[in-house]
Amino acid sequence: METSVIILYVITALVSIAFAVFLFRLAKMSSHTPVKEDQRRRSDKYVQAESSADLSFDNFILKEVSKVVDPRRSSEIATRISHVVNEEVNKKVEGKTLEIVKKFDKVIEEKTKEQEIAWEKYEKVITEKKKTEAVIRSIAEGLVVVDEQGKVIMMNPAAEKLLGANREEKVGRSLLDGLKEEQMVSLVHDKPGKKDREIELISQQNETKKVLRASSAVVENEYGQTVGMVSVLSDITKQKNLDDMKSGFVANVTHDLRTPLVAIDKSLQMVLKGEAGQVSETQQQFLTIAERNLKRLSLLIDDLLDFSKLEAGKVQLKREAVSIGELIQNTMEELKSWAETKSLHLEKEIQENLPQVEIDAGRFNQVLGNLIGNSIKFTPKEGWITVSAKLNAQNQIEVCVEDTGIGISPEDLPRVFDKFYQAGERISTDIGGTGLGLSIAKEIIELHGGKIWAQSQKGSGTKFTFTLPVR
Amino acid sequence: MEDKSINVMIVDDEPDFRELMTFWLQAKGYSVIPAEGGEVAVQLAKDKKADIIFMDLRMPRVDGVEAIKRIRGFDKDIPIIIISAHLDNEKAKQASDYGISGIFYKGEDFKQGLSLLEAALRTHKGLKKEQEPPSS
Repeated sequence: METSVIILYVITALVSIAFAVFLFRLAKMSSHTPVKEDQRRRSDKYVQAESSADLSFDNFILKEVSKVVDPRRSSEIATRISHVVNEEVNKKVEGKTLEIVKKFDKVIEEKTKEQEIAWEKYEKVITEKKKTEAVIRSIAEGLVVVDEQGKVIMMNPAAEKLLGANREEKVGRSLLDGLKEEQMVSLVHDKPGKKDREIELISQQNETKKVLRASSAVVENEYGQTVGMVSVLSDITKQKNLDDMKSGFVANVTHDLRTPLVAIDKSLQMVLKGEAGQVSETQQQFLTIAERNLKRLSLLIDDLLDFSKLEAGKVQLKREAVSIGELIQNTMEELKSWAETKSLHLEKEIQENLPQVEIDAGRFNQVLGNLIGNSIKFTPKEGWITVSAKLNAQNQIEVCVEDTGIGISPEDLPRVFDKFYQAGERISTDIGGTGLGLSIAKEIIELHGGKIWAQSQKGSGTKFTFTLPVR
Repeated sequence: MEDKSINVMIVDDEPDFRELMTFWLQAKGYSVIPAEGGEVAVQLAKDKKADIIFMDLRMPRVDGVEAIKRIRGFDKDIPIIIISAHLDNEKAKQASDYGISGIFYKGEDFKQGLSLLEAALRTHKGLKKEQEPPSS
């Protein structure tokens, strides 16, 4: 009984030792993991390790067993213990190995996947970069990027061509640096508020003048700091020439259109005034119709040319300090006789001590003439027209022309400032409008930094209001 | 009708306008010498044909400014009134540097032209010694 207990203890102790050794070996194995080896080679290595370990292990057990048990039996016991232990250990090792292999495979798989993703991303970035570079290279506009000191970081072939420079020369230097002085004629329209400027260059090859427009935008980093500037250069030489041609054309057309009108007008006058002999009443009547329509035609031409000049920005204002009250008074005087033909009441309400305004008096006479003229046209007999001027809450001069005329329907109201828009039926004996009066008025007012708007109620009158800043 | 002896030269490349003005001035009793361009005008002025000149500014080849310049080269005295469309302000300015007696705008009534003519004649014919035309 006692011996069997001892034997059991010894066996337990031995098994624990063996297990400890096994664990130690296991720990050692996992500390240097072969990553890129195939399964077969891996298992070969394990088998080798096992067989060499077996012999020493057997001897070890034999030695330990023989200490406590009868030597004759010890060999047998040892062999059996060794066998049992080995079997157990092998089973455990196999299980663990499989587990570890699986774990490694998983890790490898994950790592490979990550690498693949990273590679894919990298390739994508490269493709994107190439695409962007191709776009930059092939756009017709010149593109120049400068850093915060104004030194060129990059420029595309179009920019090289436009500036007559090559990239290697320019990179690291200021954009306009190195352009020979005789080459650069001027840097115009360099307004502080605007990012656009025009650069005039004399081309090196053929001495022709070239006008470039540089539109620039500030480049900011993610923290909103300025890190540079990107400029788009476009050749506007052709456009400039066309503009010049256009204004020349307008001037010529003006002359050519007026010349025949003047001849017709003078001829009619001559006949109407009896310089060319007696005129009968019927003849007079028809000549008057001809004359009236001729006047209408010349007004139309004047307005048309005026408007095209305003629209093209070719009108230069002759600003002077003017009393708006006096200006209103003068315009009303001019239109008084016309208003009287329709028995209209022309009134004015001018606030006292209005400050003077810096405006083009001639142009505002035109604006007021157009507005009051419209009221006269569209107000039935015995109606009222009131022109008022005051200083409003925003410290602007506010002028109103209000009438008791036919009014404008709400759907037409937003369109009254459109070109060629005309409301209402025209009375045949009226000189008539060109449909440009209000568009011209609007252009002139806006050119002075003011605003104009209309309020109306169909059937009960219209009110036009415009403002002018006081300087 | 008392100025019957006055010869007015009208220089304009527009035949209709020239004719109309000729008719008007003839009706007012003047003798008119029409000229269709700058070169003819200079030649006529050289030949002392006119007492006063109405000169259009915008003409092909020798324009009004050039014609006035040439005339002033040999005659600093003859009164010249320029005929202008409003748009020719720049040319009118150039022309006035050579000495002119007034500007008649084409759009205006012929009466305006007539009063300019009469005013010029008064200063130049009657008071020639006191008022020399400005030299070039």
